[in-house]
Amino acid sequence: MDIANLILAAIRISSPLIFLSLAELYSQRAGLVNIGIEGIAAIGSLVGFLVSVTTGSPTLGVLAGALAGILVNMIFAFATITLCAEQIVYGMAINIFAPALAAFIYRVYFGSGSTLVQGDLMATLENMLGIKSDHFLVNLSLDQTPMVYFAYILVIVTGIYFARTRSGLNFKAVGEYPKAAATLGINVNKTRYLACVICGALAGIGGAYLTTCYSRTYVDGNVAGRGFIALAAVIFGRWNAWGVLAACLFFGFCDALQIRLQLVSNAIPYQFFQMIPYAATILVLAVIGVKKAGPKACGQPYRKEER
Amino acid sequence: MKRKMFALMIACVLTMTVAFAVTGYADGRTVAMICDSSISDGGWGMACYNAMIDAAAKCGWQTMYSDSIAQSAYYDTIVSYCDLGVNMIYAPGNQYTDAILQAAAEYPEIAFALLNGGEDTPAKAVNGNVSSLLPDAKQIGWIAGALAGLMTKTGTIAFIGGMELDTTKGKYAGYGEAADFVAKENGKSVKLLDPVYSGDFSASDKGLEFAKAMMDQGADVFFGDASAVDSGARQAIDAANEAAGEIKIYDIAQPADLLGQNACIIGSQVTDNSALIELSMKAVEAGTFGGETLYGTLQNGVLSAGKLNADTVPEDVQTAYAGYIQQMTDGTFMGGGAKAE
Repeated sequence: MDIANLILAAIRISSPLIFLSLAELYSQRAGLVNIGIEGIAAIGSLVGFLVSVTTGSPTLGVLAGALAGILVNMIFAFATITLCAEQIVYGMAINIFAPALAAFIYRVYFGSGSTLVQGDLMATLENMLGIKSDHFLVNLSLDQTPMVYFAYILVIVTGIYFARTRSGLNFKAVGEYPKAAATLGINVNKTRYLACVICGALAGIGGAYLTTCYSRTYVDGNVAGRGFIALAAVIFGRWNAWGVLAACLFFGFCDALQIRLQLVSNAIPYQFFQMIPYAATILVLAVIGVKKAGPKACGQPYRKEER
Repeated sequence: MKRKMFALMIACVLTMTVAFAVTGYADGRTVAMICDSSISDGGWGMACYNAMIDAAAKCGWQTMYSDSIAQSAYYDTIVSYCDLGVNMIYAPGNQYTDAILQAAAEYPEIAFALLNGGEDTPAKAVNGNVSSLLPDAKQIGWIAGALAGLMTKTGTIAFIGGMELDTTKGKYAGYGEAADFVAKENGKSVKLLDPVYSGDFSASDKGLEFAKAMMDQGADVFFGDASAVDSGARQAIDAANEAAGEIKIYDIAQPADLLGQNACIIGSQVTDNSALIELSMKAVEAGTFGGETLYGTLQNGVLSAGKLNADTVPEDVQTAYAGYIQQMTDGTFMGGGAKAE
């Protein structure tokens, strides 16, 4: 097995997961458990694809995906922050509603024809710079789209933001103990809406990544459970940007590994290999997730007048 | 008040959506297709949908479809169409067998046409209202395998599957068998990599990763039975060819003639599913539908080899390939000893 290519595949597979996991991290850090990431990513994927195909610019596609993600997540925000509705229920509703809406929009836009529509992918840095090399380190560092670098920059920014800035600490305070945060003059609802904007944008970007940087086609269901894996990655990563990055890379590695293991062993049913990323995630969650370390007010509505 | 307004708004949106959906249904003989892949996947879903449209146009039927449906929704979707009063349910895939048999037992007046259904499936239908439309999986594999055997330079060829279905395994077996035979006849040897499965038919990203992993192992000719997953694989092959500055890794498409869709496609195995669907529609009209298996073979013209890419397939290979296809049609391929399924 070629280890270098295995690592490159792990990076490719984990990149969209990083966006989705950071989206969930921002949401949960403000006390909102948003299980609707899968649905938001589905809309981001479709809108990103449509705009990319229409304008010929994958970058615009990513931006449009982010905007679409924000818009869809505002449903969740309004229902859970303003109306104090149950977060899990609305997250699930988005998971049902958004992919169906994406499929509907695709049919309306392209008609019920059966032509395969393929868009352009964002260029890799290697192509932009005109460098051709088979060397592993060159491929690792340059054969990536700018979105991959953006994902890793976001991890660093998020890590610093939550650990080193006053604003980040205030943000975390809303997720830990909103009433105490409010007494310190922090606007809890405003912070939670901000979290929903960031969450929607990142989830939308994660979805758009799939159709503007990874695959040239849009297929219903192309998010393929990544939104739920992001939920696990946040717990796996102990609600910490660095931990989330490690979790995404771990999952990406396991997925890349199972693809290669299918090739080297015909004696074992392929379902066993496909199980590896999920079984490994459950195993790690069982070991790491025993003690709850998440924001204390996660999943709880905030009512200003409640005592 | 806000909650009530919000609930009212959602109710209005849902009502309008349902009203929009219901207005799409019209009277007349109707066939409804269910499919777990997209009809615009550039492969299986697309070809099966087009086959239904062609057959319906010839017979004057109306069509309906639901694509990208989850496995858990097979039965519910079929039953929904049955409740709408369609005349025939068309399910393109072996994976729908259980859902079809269950629904067929509950709706005896509706015809159920199962493409790639098992030979024994019609007999299992208690009301005798199920027919299998069965293109010969091994011959499909032969058509692709012969071309792979002629075109491979590295001696390593690959196959990507969606689900581990009997038909998929049949195609894989035929692909390897024909590639090996043809390669040996031309003084080469061929190694067919173990089959890989994505587990579904919509994960184009998995196709991309599979293809990259298989190219790392030296594969230079690909064949697949995985719908949108194949599209992902072709994307990876095109990218590799582009990086190399020449087309030296090839893909063989199925089940429609997809020449020109991607630069890496050198030829296609073509299945004329519309002929089988048309036969089913005529049987429904005559009141004779059900309880039989309609076979699709090279001999009856349902299976064929698509056009070859003249830029990438040398003329002598084209001639040799045409000869092998003729042998398959005549029943003399591999000495006539190998049996098609």
